Amino acid sequence: MLVLSRKAGESVYIGDDIKITVVEFVGDKVKIGIEAPKSMTVLREELYQTLSTNKQATENVNSQLLRELAQSFKKAKLPNE
Amino acid sequence: MKIETRNFGALEIDEKEIITFCTGIYGFEEYKEYVLLYDDDIGLPFMWLQSVKAKDVCFILTDAETVGITDYAPHLSAETRIELKLYGDDEPVFRLITVVPEHFTDATVNLKSPVVLNPKNKLASQVILDENYPIKARLVPQTEGAK
Repeated sequence: MLVLSRKAGESVYIGDDIKITVVEFVGDKVKIGIEAPKSMTVLREELYQTLSTNKQATENVNSQLLRELAQSFKKAKLPNE
Repeated sequence: MKIETRNFGALEIDEKEIITFCTGIYGFEEYKEYVLLYDDDIGLPFMWLQSVKAKDVCFILTDAETVGITDYAPHLSAETRIELKLYGDDEPVFRLITVVPEHFTDATVNLKSPVVLNPKNKLASQVILDENYPIKARLVPQTEGAK
């Protein structure tokens, strides 16, 4: 990963169309400004990953797998009961 | 009312059981109404969050205890509490979206973005927490998966 040091107010270009600006530092957070073409989707990482895991969650349909998974839990819990 | 479900065929459900998402599940914003289904055969801790409109929109949910977290009570923003009409001491219920891949021992749960439900009025929302929880927490500990 390319790592650059920037002060508040300074920017970085990615290609010709995308400009990332460090806006300010507040406590342990950095505010970042992003200028990009409308067609580009900009998402916080946790939202991007939530979207993709939600999609994966609906893709897997197999009830048999779940039955096995539930069984493995029942087995795992038995010694404590 | 009668609905088509992904895993249980056609079912008659009580409209009072319908859970309404104000803003929807991320990526599935057009589906607002769901019911929670249980399989007596499989039993808890798994339940199905089934869209009443689209049979293929169905999530498998579990709770944090399944991954060994007994004190999972993340902080909700004021906006979320207002959205779900959680007032005073009203306690929300947290459920986790589960991903079950072909190797079911690689199943994961999303602790970072739980489904939050107000059991009193059946309003729900998927929230992304500020707290540092993993989006893919292993459901089955690694050592068990290796067996």
